[in-house]
Amino acid sequence: MALNGATIDRLVLAYAAALAKPSKADLIALHVVEIDWTLPLDASVAGLSEEAQRVLDVAEAHAERLGLHVEPLLLKARDVGAAIVDEAAAQEADVLVLGLPYRTRFGGDFVIGTTVPYVFKNAPCTVWVVREPMPQEGA
Amino acid sequence: MIGGRRPLRGRKPGDRRVRVERPHSAYFRYTGPGQLTAKVAASEPTTRVGRAWARVRRVLFGRQLSNEEEAFERLPKKLALPIFSSDAISSSAYATEEILRVLVIGGASAVIFSIPVAIAIVVMLAIVSTSYRQVCRAYPSGGGAYVVARQNISPVAGLVAAAALLIDYVMTVAVSTASAVAQVYSVVPQLYDLRIEIAIVSIALITVGNLRGLREAGLVFASPTYLFLGLALVMISLGFLRIVTGTAPDLPPPPDAVPFGTAPATGILLIILFLRSFAGGSVALTGVEAIANGVPAFKPPEAKNAANTMTAMAILLGALFIGITVIADVFRILPTREGGQTVVAQVAAAVFGDGSILFIAFQAATALILFLAVNTSFNAFPRLAAILAKDGFMPRQFSFRGDRLAFSWGIVLLATVAGALLILFGGDVHALIPLYSVGVFVCFTLSQAGMVRHWRNARDAGWWWRALVNAGGGVLTFVVLCVVVSMKFLDGAWLVVVLVPTLVAMMLFIHRQYASSTQQLALRPEQIISPPHRAERVVIPISGLSRAVVQAVNVGRSISGDVRAVLVSDEPEVADQVRDEWERRIPGVPLIVVESPYRALTGPLIAYLDVLDGAWPPDQEAPITFVVIPEYVARHWWERILYNQSTHSFRTALIGRPNTVVTQVPYRREDPAQFERHPEPQPGAVD
Repeated sequence: MALNGATIDRLVLAYAAALAKPSKADLIALHVVEIDWTLPLDASVAGLSEEAQRVLDVAEAHAERLGLHVEPLLLKARDVGAAIVDEAAAQEADVLVLGLPYRTRFGGDFVIGTTVPYVFKNAPCTVWVVREPMPQEGA
Repeated sequence: MIGGRRPLRGRKPGDRRVRVERPHSAYFRYTGPGQLTAKVAASEPTTRVGRAWARVRRVLFGRQLSNEEEAFERLPKKLALPIFSSDAISSSAYATEEILRVLVIGGASAVIFSIPVAIAIVVMLAIVSTSYRQVCRAYPSGGGAYVVARQNISPVAGLVAAAALLIDYVMTVAVSTASAVAQVYSVVPQLYDLRIEIAIVSIALITVGNLRGLREAGLVFASPTYLFLGLALVMISLGFLRIVTGTAPDLPPPPDAVPFGTAPATGILLIILFLRSFAGGSVALTGVEAIANGVPAFKPPEAKNAANTMTAMAILLGALFIGITVIADVFRILPTREGGQTVVAQVAAAVFGDGSILFIAFQAATALILFLAVNTSFNAFPRLAAILAKDGFMPRQFSFRGDRLAFSWGIVLLATVAGALLILFGGDVHALIPLYSVGVFVCFTLSQAGMVRHWRNARDAGWWWRALVNAGGGVLTFVVLCVVVSMKFLDGAWLVVVLVPTLVAMMLFIHRQYASSTQQLALRPEQIISPPHRAERVVIPISGLSRAVVQAVNVGRSISGDVRAVLVSDEPEVADQVRDEWERRIPGVPLIVVESPYRALTGPLIAYLDVLDGAWPPDQEAPITFVVIPEYVARHWWERILYNQSTHSFRTALIGRPNTVVTQVPYRREDPAQFERHPEPQPGAVD
């Protein structure tokens, strides 16, 4: 499952947990930090480290409360979508679960961006996209 | 900081990614900006002995629980009744006996007063429970006597209530355990000689259970109380049926019955006997306050549910107590000498038949509910001790929770004191009882008095009649307290009369100590801390030149430029040799040799530091002296005997010295690598 530190992560984890629990599958929580082209890929990025680690730590703690063990994996890459796909291939993943957050700004909408379409097209496995409930659905 | 390894290639040209290491993840979790939360691995011991002890603890007490795993359970009335009332209801198992034991002194004619005494106690129970209904409503967050008295009367009154409560909880454990064991040997008399061992083992088991985080909730804990209630009510109904139908047996007195007094009691003596039996039987009221303490554990509406449960408990307790007393009186049941059947066992034997299945089941249920009453104290005592510790009246350790979220210090203290009492009093319920009631009635009185003040201050609608109810309860419980103290003073109540003020004095002393240290350590509200500007100097006591000393010198140099070594020696020749070597190997760091013809090491070092301080210009602020002590790290227990003896004495002597910081620099055997000669890099060599 790919996490981005937003509130949607809980839903992603819940769905991934529901998928993994019956078959006792391994759960890998992935968070990718996008590194700007002006910096070397192995550059130290001050300020991002704690925040990036926290995304995975929060997911790990939440999974523990659900009685699950997740393997957290933090990546740095130029392109988030490519990193997710490549890591899924390297880990021989069966299912990739991603979240699609609802943006409340500018009247509220789902901005599909570039990551989800890239993963759809290139992932070596099944892809699940968990859509965040719209405010009127969540109410 | 995100570091990184070498990039991994992706499936498409140009795609690269780096897996970032997470060195913290084994021990910590980031939970907020600048905030880490330790995982269980961070507190796991690293030494072999520590790991072995941790394994033993895990087997005994279970795995460590995190704060998040604390279970908060709201109880419905049908579960709350048995859980909170086991202490009170179980006292019906020995209250009648305490009345009869006193009345037999006055002869057969005095024993008939057991019913009026029981009625008087039940009237008091009605008044006290009505008063405590008010406490439930006024303190939905839990109105222990300590809280009510502290908030409404004075902190000292609160402490008196707390001391009395602590004693009450200890006595509940001792008395209930002794009584439970008495029920056991009422069925199996051969176990009488093992009563202390059985009592201690049962306390040990319940202690381990509570250290594991045992909670009172659940059907497992509710069912013994309902079993006891059911069987006791059946027993009383059958007993009354036989009384009404005129088939009550006229039992011969048991062979080991306590003999009647030689002269029948009349006049003043009879009144005293009446009062003494009333004081003895008033143990029936112990544990009544438990519901008022546990209001937050009820399902909403908490206060109403707790108040109704209180009434139900009072009715049940009153019915059991009166029922058992009436049957005992009509069936002419008498208390036996120590080791014989208890009164309640005799009642059960008379109604169900001695040795019958129902008799054995009733005795087992009685023993079980008494053990449950013990658990009530095991929950309440550590919590009260923790509250007192948080308020600064008990050592802070009592507020620390152990591996299983239990207040381990309180649990262990309660078990130790109760166990000691059981041994001291030979596991005799009757001998322990005089110590029991005093604390309970102190709590009742202070709690009711506090409630009167509460209603007066609150001035809610109908405050005056609520205050009147509590005032009535308070006056009555105070009168009973006076009766209990005066009638049982010589039997052991004096101990509580001495203990309560002693405990209060101890708590006030602890509070004063904590308050004074807090005041001394507090920062002024307006104070902004700027970087230090005091001079610093380093003094390194040495015994010779070694790698450990070199490490200490290097640490000293990183602290200040003013570094000096001090060698206290009683052998001038050796000192000269050390100086020669020192000056050759560590130039720039002066070595001061202090010759000690009287062979002392610590004294001359302290005196040298005093001289250094004295030589400092008086118009300047005194410098901070860092005493950097080289220390060899012992790897085995026997190495601790062989090394670092003078290090320990230096450290002990320097603790508390003004303007002095003691720094220990450990030298490990693994450290020599840094002292080994590194090979010179060869020309053309590549890393």
